[in-house]
Amino acid sequence: MIKHHPSDETLFRHASGTLEPGPRIVVAVHAGGCPVCAGRIGEFEAFGGSLLQEIEPEEMETGALDRAMAMIEADSSGRRKTAPAPRLARADVGIRLPEALEGCGIGPWRWIGPGVRWSRVTLAGDVDANVMLLKVAAGRRLPEHTHVGSEYTHVLKGAFSDARGRYGPGDLDEADDDVQHQPIVDDDGECICIAAVEGQTKLRGLFGRLIQPLFG
Amino acid sequence: MNASGHGFTTADRVLPVFDLATIGLVVTMRKDEALLSADEAGRLLVAVAAERDRAAFAALFGFYAPRLKSFMRRYGMSASAAEDVAQETMLLVWKKASYFDPSRAGASTWIFTIARNARIDRLRKEGRPAAIATAFDPSDEPEGPASGEAAVMTAERDERVRNAISRLADEQADALRLFFFGDKTQSEIAGELGIPLGTVKSRLRLALGRLRQILDDLK
Repeated sequence: MIKHHPSDETLFRHASGTLEPGPRIVVAVHAGGCPVCAGRIGEFEAFGGSLLQEIEPEEMETGALDRAMAMIEADSSGRRKTAPAPRLARADVGIRLPEALEGCGIGPWRWIGPGVRWSRVTLAGDVDANVMLLKVAAGRRLPEHTHVGSEYTHVLKGAFSDARGRYGPGDLDEADDDVQHQPIVDDDGECICIAAVEGQTKLRGLFGRLIQPLFG
Repeated sequence: MNASGHGFTTADRVLPVFDLATIGLVVTMRKDEALLSADEAGRLLVAVAAERDRAAFAALFGFYAPRLKSFMRRYGMSASAAEDVAQETMLLVWKKASYFDPSRAGASTWIFTIARNARIDRLRKEGRPAAIATAFDPSDEPEGPASGEAAVMTAERDERVRNAISRLADEQADALRLFFFGDKTQSEIAGELGIPLGTVKSRLRLALGRLRQILDDLK
């Protein structure tokens, strides 16, 4: 049972295409398994459709339609080919990853501290995005940390808790920059999350200092 | 048409957003002129898919391309970049028309998602950090047959959302229209009005909360 969802604001930005690459993939992972959020994104996309329908048009350049018709003729005769996207390396991280991560590169687990490992998630074309898998051992406490910009953490396996609640598989924790939290993983098993922070290379605090050199 | 060429009009009435009229940040809507109804657009898309109907495509292009260009300008794109994305989107509409399913989304919503993803792809190619691989692309392959309930929900969703927008207070609808195009606009609004970004954000949250309430009431 999913208890924690992204905010409507985040889903609105996701639907409009203005959410940053890192958070966007984490929200996509969540929506892939959450019909409620997928439905809300659909509503906000319909909002976009309504905007498109009603916006004041801006004239296209002269000959735009002719160019478009020439393009579709070229397309129909198979002359316009697009190269397939290069495949990124994917390490086996021991769990089945959600569909939304297809096409992403997955790095091997790396030690980051006692009981904590991370794996870098690389987005095709957006190599600078700060996205990672985190694997934390049972009962382990993550260092207390704050961050600049919101932090999005989606639980893939296991559970963790902090002062705001308990987060299990399918839950997405959206922590504002004013949240100072120290998540603790449940005692009965490890926890694997996918996490992204808004903003490029802005990780701060103890957690940030742990992660920062790895992203540097 | 308004002077900026990429605003919105409501029956020629310019709607102020907060007191944005005074600083030139006005979003206007047009509702007076329905050149292509949602149903007609859907039928044209189906004709493009089934018969590779070039006349139907030209009609869609005539309606949507200038709107897509205007839409992309609202995201902050230059006129030439917006023109390119409008062209690219229409080409994708031609290619992907067979994936359009009128029971799942309205034509405008479907074309919007293609345009949104085309913009994201473009930003990615330019190396700008505002987008990702199209990992969640509802305009792509259908996710299999919709369950009965889901099909009903998606078919009436566009109508329900339109209905909800019309029930929002004007200034809240206008706020959402502005916020839709991104954070930069939020910062700009804050700067122009001399109010903290947090205040702008809380207004957005209020407007979204109201929209949520109306949408849930209409279910």
